[in-house]
Amino acid sequence: MDRGEIRLSRRAAAGVVARTLAGGAIALAVGLGAMSAASADGGTLRVRFGSDIGNLDPARIFQVENQTVAGHVFNGLVKYDQATNEIVPDLAREWSVSADGLTYEFKLRQGVEFHKGYGPLTADDVKFSLERVLDPATKSRYAGQLAGVKSVDAPDPSTVRITLEKPNAGLLNKVTAFNQGWIMSRKAVAEIGDDKVALNPIGTGPFVFEKWTPGSEVRLSANKSYFEGAPKIDAVVFKVIKDETAAAIALENGEIDIFFALQSPVVIDRLRKAASITVLDRPANHTINLVLNTSIKPLDDVRVRRAIAYGVNRKALIDGFFKGTKGMGHSVLTSSFPQYSEDVPQYPYDPEKAKALLAEAGVGDFTLDLVSVGFSPYDQIVVPIASDLNKVGIKTNIKVLERGAYLQARGKGDIMTCVTGVVGPPDPDSPLVSLYATQSFPPGLNTSRYDKADDLLARAATEQDADKRTGIYRDLLKQTMSDVPVLPLYADRLFLAHTAKVEGLVQNSLFTVLTYSVSLKN
Amino acid sequence: MLRYVARRLLLMFVTVAGMVTVVFFLIRAIPGDPATYMLGDYATTEAVAALRAQLGLDRPVHEQYLGFMRRAFSGDLGSSVVTGQPAFAEVLESLPWSAALALAGIVVAVVVGVPLGVVSAVRQGTWVDMAVMLGALAGISFPVFWVGLASILLLAHEVRIFPALGASSSADPWVQLHHLALPALVLGLSVAAYIARLTRSAMLEVLGQDYVRVARAMGIPERRIVFRLALRNALIPVLAVIGVTFAWSLGSAILVEAVFSRPGLGSMVLKAVFARDYQLVQAGVLVLACAVVLVNTTLDIVYGLVDPRVRVG
Repeated sequence: MDRGEIRLSRRAAAGVVARTLAGGAIALAVGLGAMSAASADGGTLRVRFGSDIGNLDPARIFQVENQTVAGHVFNGLVKYDQATNEIVPDLAREWSVSADGLTYEFKLRQGVEFHKGYGPLTADDVKFSLERVLDPATKSRYAGQLAGVKSVDAPDPSTVRITLEKPNAGLLNKVTAFNQGWIMSRKAVAEIGDDKVALNPIGTGPFVFEKWTPGSEVRLSANKSYFEGAPKIDAVVFKVIKDETAAAIALENGEIDIFFALQSPVVIDRLRKAASITVLDRPANHTINLVLNTSIKPLDDVRVRRAIAYGVNRKALIDGFFKGTKGMGHSVLTSSFPQYSEDVPQYPYDPEKAKALLAEAGVGDFTLDLVSVGFSPYDQIVVPIASDLNKVGIKTNIKVLERGAYLQARGKGDIMTCVTGVVGPPDPDSPLVSLYATQSFPPGLNTSRYDKADDLLARAATEQDADKRTGIYRDLLKQTMSDVPVLPLYADRLFLAHTAKVEGLVQNSLFTVLTYSVSLKN
Repeated sequence: MLRYVARRLLLMFVTVAGMVTVVFFLIRAIPGDPATYMLGDYATTEAVAALRAQLGLDRPVHEQYLGFMRRAFSGDLGSSVVTGQPAFAEVLESLPWSAALALAGIVVAVVVGVPLGVVSAVRQGTWVDMAVMLGALAGISFPVFWVGLASILLLAHEVRIFPALGASSSADPWVQLHHLALPALVLGLSVAAYIARLTRSAMLEVLGQDYVRVARAMGIPERRIVFRLALRNALIPVLAVIGVTFAWSLGSAILVEAVFSRPGLGSMVLKAVFARDYQLVQAGVLVLACAVVLVNTTLDIVYGLVDPRVRVG
């Protein structure tokens, strides 16, 4: 290399720097211009997701992000009213139950079409979808939800008949538009392939699945021929923004319109103070609980379990750690359930009573393992719980496990305690059967190995009178709160935030967000 | 030279195979498996056993390993258990995002790091040197996710120059660049700190050499000595280190991706580890390992071309 070349390269380097700076300035100008242009068209709603989707197959679906997307794409026979949780018509315009409670007959709406030209919805698609969940070859997560269904028949294209082995008053909850209740197209599953429908969902819902960019976003477009009328927006984009602070800034900057799965008390506080941001909240359908394994000494003694209940300062946890963003858990049903009741044994913080109960039980020195999954806030709340219990004389050993390891330990069921919540629909069986029935013994969620709820649960299932059924559930709540195999730590609350552009958003208690009712103001 | 290249390529192959092997056994050694994850809270023991059998997880690990290697050689890396898509295709979808970030980061690192290192060496002991080295120390010390969050607060919220989101689905390349700028700056500046320190020490060493002293004695202008004689020689070790920084920046990219909500290989592999999505983890690590090893091998070969002494060793 000679001298001339060096000069050239130095000059070239200066040129590159100058051009980069100029280019950056242009990029900035163009970028900002494009952004303001994008916000002017107003037809696309942008919603924050905390994590990516992975599987939208109703038989295998889990996680709120998947369920939110599926809720836009699919319908069920019936659905929960977003605001009231009442069961209302969806694909079925009406239904009837036989006198013996064994047969449910649904009359389908006429003229409902599947997306992307997969033809009209018929009773056969409903039969196919429900049988697919029940088929062991599908390996559905939700086969157990439809257990007790003897047959699903389609006597004519607009009639679906579900026959049960024994009466189950909760059946409607199992065929609502959620998880196993979402109806797929037989033709679409056959043509697209059983393993490929997970990311190519074909439903009848208000939005059509367009495109998934892994790690980045999911795009849906409006179904202009939706049976309840076309959505008021043209498209919805779900953007994956993991960090809540970043999501809050994006919301304030107008880069997104709706902040879904808002959880951090600090961020909630910040957004409540922000101008032109609306924060919505309502009780969720789940409590977060400390499950006590009644098969391990000394937790087999109800006095020890009650001592733990009195010994944990749950109010301080809610007011302090959560800054009041959670509610008190009086039982495993939250106030969003019609069967909710506060007429149950209560355990206000009372360390003296806890000590007295421990003395009465005559337990000497013992160490309580507090097992939690390594997710915020569960990994953090075990710390104040341990500190409270130490004060009443119970030694604690905190074990925070990574999710996979936690699931394995919980599935084995030999852990002393665990922090668990049952996120799901406002179906009382969802938390009650999962946490208290013997059928849910590990690998299920009944890691307390509580075995005294089966009778009441069976009676609730066969009781056709709604009021009597509610009474049975309330008896069960009293009994389980007296036995405390499960201590509700707090009743979760759900938070959503949106900008002033968003109108008509209704928050549900399912931990999903549905945007069919939303319109965008310019 | 050919023998040198051949030996490098062989080593590259061994390294990649070794990494994939380690990851294969490591991911299976951690508790939990994909069947439990997929079937969730209501899974029965039978259902889990059936899914394990379907995924081939019930067979002995060494058998699984041989099967995996056999299929990997024929280009089949299996399918993700979560999405059901071919693992390799899913990895390739995230690759451009990561490559763009890593590349932009390295460009920022070199453009900022090398000149600062040179200035600092030439002005050794002055306040300029102190300031640059203090800045570099801060750059190394502050974790990249903290700098990322702080930069979002400052440059995307207080002064709204950049978007808070590090990725855009827009087809417009300018918009894409605008979104990439802040993550690239954050990643690049943390790497620049290393490069500045390294350039400085390499420059100082070269500037102390006899031939530089001779050149000065001969009255060659200082500017020419610095840029023509010293920098070219000092850049050889810096070049080699860029390969190492590339691997390092891919690692930091995971944090940068998380802070700036940017898709990429790092966050994809992390998600796959949480889901015990073995096939996806293996495919992701294979591609990451190939990228790092390829960059380093290329640099080794270039290094050999630039500096004949390397080839002998």
